[in-house]
Amino acid sequence: MTSPLLEARELRKGYDDGRIAALRGVSLSIEAGDFVAISGPSGSGKSTLLQLLGGLDTPSAGQVLYRGEALGRAINLDDYRSTEVGFIFQAFYLLPTLRAIENVQVPMMALRRESSTRAQRAEALLCELGLEERLNHYPHELSTGERQRVAIARALANQPTLLLADEPTGNLDSENSARIMETLIGIQKSRGMTMIIVTHENDIAASAPRHIRIRDGRIESGKGAS
Amino acid sequence: MQDRMARSLSFAWFSWKNLWRRKLRTLLTVCGIGMAVGAFVALVGFSRSFEHEWLRMYESSGTDIAVVQKTFLNTSVDEMAGARLQSLSSVAAATPMILNMMDLTPEINALVYGWRADSYEFDGLTLMSGRRFRDGQPEVMLGELLASNLHKQAGDTLEIQGSRLTIAGVYHGGSALEAGAVIMPLDELQQIASLQGKVTAFHVRLRPVPAGESPDAYLKNAQAQIEAALPGLRAVPAAQRASNNQIVLLAHAAAWGTSSIALLIGILGIANTMAMSVLERTREIGILRALGWKSWRVMLLIQSEAAALGLVGGVFGIAIGWGSLHLLAWLPRTSSITPPAFSPSLLLQAMGVAVVAGLAAGAIPAWRGAHLLPVEALRHD
Repeated sequence: MTSPLLEARELRKGYDDGRIAALRGVSLSIEAGDFVAISGPSGSGKSTLLQLLGGLDTPSAGQVLYRGEALGRAINLDDYRSTEVGFIFQAFYLLPTLRAIENVQVPMMALRRESSTRAQRAEALLCELGLEERLNHYPHELSTGERQRVAIARALANQPTLLLADEPTGNLDSENSARIMETLIGIQKSRGMTMIIVTHENDIAASAPRHIRIRDGRIESGKGAS
Repeated sequence: MQDRMARSLSFAWFSWKNLWRRKLRTLLTVCGIGMAVGAFVALVGFSRSFEHEWLRMYESSGTDIAVVQKTFLNTSVDEMAGARLQSLSSVAAATPMILNMMDLTPEINALVYGWRADSYEFDGLTLMSGRRFRDGQPEVMLGELLASNLHKQAGDTLEIQGSRLTIAGVYHGGSALEAGAVIMPLDELQQIASLQGKVTAFHVRLRPVPAGESPDAYLKNAQAQIEAALPGLRAVPAAQRASNNQIVLLAHAAAWGTSSIALLIGILGIANTMAMSVLERTREIGILRALGWKSWRVMLLIQSEAAALGLVGGVFGIAIGWGSLHLLAWLPRTSSITPPAFSPSLLLQAMGVAVVAGLAAGAIPAWRGAHLLPVEALRHD
């Protein structure tokens, strides 16, 4: 029997010396190629869960397994984030001093790739996302939709197996929101990537083949989760 | 088409962009470290050229050994010791001398040497006008630089300590310590300074090294012979005397002490800039960490920015130091002491000091920035 790509076992996360419990024992498993939406009201713990699955934070108890090996123990979190995971954030988090093409190269610098290779790959990704005329623009010179597409290109830079998106359409209007979701679903299908989207928008959650609802730090519903 | 020209992002370019986002702060920090390095270059350069000129003075006159008081710097060696010195087998010539510093005008001070008219040390000088002074006469000779600064020439008079002295000649000296100095009869200087029978040192020329003996061994034997013959006095090789006499040591200590304080202030300036920069960029550091940058790579980025501040500040500081040394060489009060000397080792030292200062100043902010948890850094406003 093979291990799932990603597995959470009894994840708990507390803040303020445990007085605030963001997650209260979450278990789930995600197979390679899955497209999973995690939804829930504000403060339900969905972003905290995504941060733990992405190795941005460590759980207070429980563990996250990637291909059967524990994050933070058998797998170094920095290596995991640089090679296996691509993040997309609600606030884009582009570096303001860098042009679009430079922003996309930042994750590749963590892997010591040749600078010319980095630039070529960044250009190819931005062109693929329809930003061929915006390569040398700074984030403040781009529309919000364009900024999120640069962020998607950046998330794909190191060819990760996992794409984690935290409210990727939260700062976008409905038109851009639909376009970004179409782009993400297209990428997931064409590349066979595993994608986990955290969202509070029901229609986006409904577009995913697998939907996990979370409330008060616990899984409320969802196949393969508890 | 310009949009389509892909730009590759190098680590250095990334560092530079981070620094350049706060232009004024970066420029002020560079100015701060530049002033500190400038002070270092000017002061240490000044003290080194002082030492260098001292050595040149000995070399041009052919002095091998200086015989001085064992402990005191002042003019307290008995002039009568010269006869005993002259009788030693290794000594070819021994000449007494006094070294003093005098205010010639309110603006100009100069080194004043007391020599005998038959001193071998005149061999290192070239007479440009007039003649050599005579013992027992109220006469002086001026170095060309000092004569120019004082607007004096042979035949004019010069007043020292209330005594009116005739300028017998103007000479060209091999060293700036001579070019900007006054040389006068030893007995006249002893009388003016109330130092009858006393000298600062004896300068000694040794006989040629005998065949089969090494110069070093010969010098050591001569030293031992002189010290055995004249208890209470010390025979110091010229090179050692040039670098290790109290005046030069004092100049070095003052230069290093003052420039260390300036460098400390410069380091605090960079540390403040880097601490502010890391605080402002906490979220960006979180982004880098979220994208897989390891702690050491973030630390390297911040340290490279600090080192770049030090490096640019160092270049700026060398320019300031170079200008300061030229200014000192131009000012009448200091021009007689030293010319602007700029050795490659001083440049390397200045750059090294600047970069190390940058790295030292950036160390704590870099460590703090690199060890932020990605998720906490991302939450930072």
